[in-house]
Amino acid sequence: MPEPGSTHARRRFTAYRIAQTVLGVVFGGYLAWRLFDIVFVHPAYGTETWVQFAISGIVLGSVYAIIAIGYTLVYGILFMINFAHGDIMMIGAFGGYFVLEALKTIPAGTASGSGLSFLDAYPIPAIILTFAVGIFVAALSGYLLEKIAYRPLRGAPRLVPLISAIGASIFLENAGQLLFGAQRRDYANPAVLTRGSGWNIAIGAENVVLTYTGVLTFVLSVLLMVGLYVLVRRTRLGRAMRAVAENKPVAELMGIDVDGVISRTFIISGALAGAAGVMWGIHLGLVYYFVGFVPGIKAFTAAVLGGIGNIPGAMLGGLFLGVVEALGPAVLGLNFQLKDVIAFAILVLVLIFRPTGILGEVLTEDKV
Amino acid sequence: MKTKLRESLKAGLVYGIVTIFLFLIGFTGTAANLVGKVIHFGAGGSLTPAMANLMIFLAVMGILAGYAGARAAKGQADTWSTALLRSALTGLVHGIMLASIVYLVGDLKVQGVKMTGYLPQLLPDAINQILYGMQPASAAVFHLVFMTVMGAAGGAAAHGIGRGAWRPRAAARWSAFRIGLAQRPDVLKLRANPMTRYGLYAIAVILLVLLPRLLGQYWNYTLGTIGIYVLLGLGLNIVVGLAGLLDLGYVAFFAIGSYTTALLTAPNPHHLLWSFWLTVPIGIVLAALAGILLGIPVLRMRGDYLAIVTLGFGQIIGILLKSDVLTAFTGGPKGVSGVGGPTLFGKPFASDIDFVYLIMLAVLLIVFVTNRLQNSRVGRAWEAMREDETVARAMGINVLTTKLMAFAIGAAFAGLGGVLFAARNQFTGPEDHNLMVSINVLSLLIVGGMGSIPGAIAGAFALKGLPEVLRELENYRVLAFGALLVVMMIIRPEGLIPSSRRKLEARPDKNASPGPQPEDGSKLP
Repeated sequence: MPEPGSTHARRRFTAYRIAQTVLGVVFGGYLAWRLFDIVFVHPAYGTETWVQFAISGIVLGSVYAIIAIGYTLVYGILFMINFAHGDIMMIGAFGGYFVLEALKTIPAGTASGSGLSFLDAYPIPAIILTFAVGIFVAALSGYLLEKIAYRPLRGAPRLVPLISAIGASIFLENAGQLLFGAQRRDYANPAVLTRGSGWNIAIGAENVVLTYTGVLTFVLSVLLMVGLYVLVRRTRLGRAMRAVAENKPVAELMGIDVDGVISRTFIISGALAGAAGVMWGIHLGLVYYFVGFVPGIKAFTAAVLGGIGNIPGAMLGGLFLGVVEALGPAVLGLNFQLKDVIAFAILVLVLIFRPTGILGEVLTEDKV
Repeated sequence: MKTKLRESLKAGLVYGIVTIFLFLIGFTGTAANLVGKVIHFGAGGSLTPAMANLMIFLAVMGILAGYAGARAAKGQADTWSTALLRSALTGLVHGIMLASIVYLVGDLKVQGVKMTGYLPQLLPDAINQILYGMQPASAAVFHLVFMTVMGAAGGAAAHGIGRGAWRPRAAARWSAFRIGLAQRPDVLKLRANPMTRYGLYAIAVILLVLLPRLLGQYWNYTLGTIGIYVLLGLGLNIVVGLAGLLDLGYVAFFAIGSYTTALLTAPNPHHLLWSFWLTVPIGIVLAALAGILLGIPVLRMRGDYLAIVTLGFGQIIGILLKSDVLTAFTGGPKGVSGVGGPTLFGKPFASDIDFVYLIMLAVLLIVFVTNRLQNSRVGRAWEAMREDETVARAMGINVLTTKLMAFAIGAAFAGLGGVLFAARNQFTGPEDHNLMVSINVLSLLIVGGMGSIPGAIAGAFALKGLPEVLRELENYRVLAFGALLVVMMIIRPEGLIPSSRRKLEARPDKNASPGPQPEDGSKLP
């Protein structure tokens, strides 16, 4: 921010801006050239592969979006990065995992007569129960997390809650490892939702699979996003949340129970993370104690990308990040091991060049 | 009374969850082993020593719960009977929770369900231990009664301690003694005399020189690790503690230092075989340059955004090192082995003792440099910038160069640490440079006290030394780190040995925003 009356500072930051623009143009040009090259000049993949990449990107992106909303909600209210958010997602994923494992062993009863388990005989109640338990467990941990690790730190300097959050994240990851072991576990989906099965769509001569789990994930996330939007925009609690985000002391003077609202915000964000965890398990299959870390950071990237504190921004940022991550290695011609580097690079670039995000100015630069 | 009972009930719930959690992560068994090391308990009948040790540990938990139950919701003093009643209630809740888990687990075991697939700590031995060799139902009843009794005992202890007014009196006497001692003329004179300080330094140096000779190889290795972490801690101390820039990608500079030495001296993948001493300045300079390169783009960032960007940088470097992309250059996921060590007057550094001396020398040097920096113009500029960047700029501090200095010097220290690390281990690989290193260094600073040199040293000993002493607790070390970070932030955010300025500022400012509400939920007027 150039300060008025300080020509020295103004000149320096103008140079900074020019450097930013030049770098941005160079990078954007390179990207456009790569895109042109790979699509028209040296087509490495057929159309169906691109569509498949895009589909998986959108599905993954919708999960990121759901997690990102949790970050954004908490950041909007407390100006604090809830570093342990990804681990709440892990807890939700494990909650769902145990429900599915239990339902797998319970026989469907005499009514169906076949040797099916409850899981395969009644997939819809089973999935609903899985989501319910995953969401409940994660919401409960979100509530407890806030109560134990963050509430005593209200009003402390900003690094203090961040370090507490890092500590909570380490604690939850290791508790997960000690409780459930280090091995990766397979989610036991009901037979109708077998991973990889889905509708075949013909594109040209090839088929593209639109998986059932992917569709379920995407539809559910859209429903959750719409629900959340309505909650924040139309309900009393949503109004209270926005008031607390705007100004805590004034909100309290208006008769809002600030601590209660913060608690409920953590419950909502935990519930979303839990839903995302179960979706992750059902769609991608593997859960383990560290499963939340990388999606957590990526979702944070998504939240920053859309402008942190901005709910539609988080949704958009999540979808964008998912698609970029799915298409990026192919477009840039990178090794697929470096998929995560793309997300981190976007994070770094956005924070450096446009810390207010794409969708705008929710925070002033001073808060950044 | 009703609120008080509710608080006692809550304490029981909390302790129940904690005890069950400790059982499920297998900590109860480990703790029982530790108890067995301290007390050799001759058990009779069907009770094996392991079970008896577990019983002692659970008794401690029960007494603590009862203590907490009687202490919850302070108000007017309890009578003996209410204190006992409340703590017994806490114990009862604690017992009910533990008993139900014991019954559940025991019953599942009787039915032949294998639980280790889901909860790997529930080994048959561990279950037998907590069942005390009884049937599940009777074991559950036993636990219930046991916890209630222990809770009441804890309540009695709490009440007994609480009634005697010895605690404030003792504290007052101790602080009077301390102040009195500090103000006695001879003590003041002794403190003012520079010879005292030099004498203390001399004693410390002699101790440091003798220490590695007295220790075995294993402890020397540990001491070397602690020393390297002191270097890292002092470097991060400049960035985070003095300049207030939270850097979570600090491990990147450590990696640059160790990979510089490794790639320049190792036979593979480049076969350069340089001398170790040449790589020291190169590693330091490269790390410092990397620090500046990282610093330039993040100059305008503050607080948590900076933390996330640096975390992103650290992760990118970690992923690159681990992937196959750079295998030809850095050895890829397998790392670099056969790193050359230093030679002095033709004699190679062979044992860990030699390296301990080398690392100690480096630590002393860095402590000296840090100390001088802290009191220099740039050190004061860092602290001013940490307090308030805008004001610092208004005071004529060039914020940009000051920040870059902090990044560069902090990174240089980490580079030195990395150089020594690679040379001592004769190996370096991506696993040595993961996120946990950054977190460990940050934790040691927080535990020790940010911005303070003794704090960084004490923190390194606490976080790298203590776990070596308590080897049984190895599995729970990282878990404890996490919990420790949270607890430190809540009860002592300034660290164990804080710098005087930190002490003032780390406390929550109650006036800044609505503070914590009263426990019973009543609204402020």
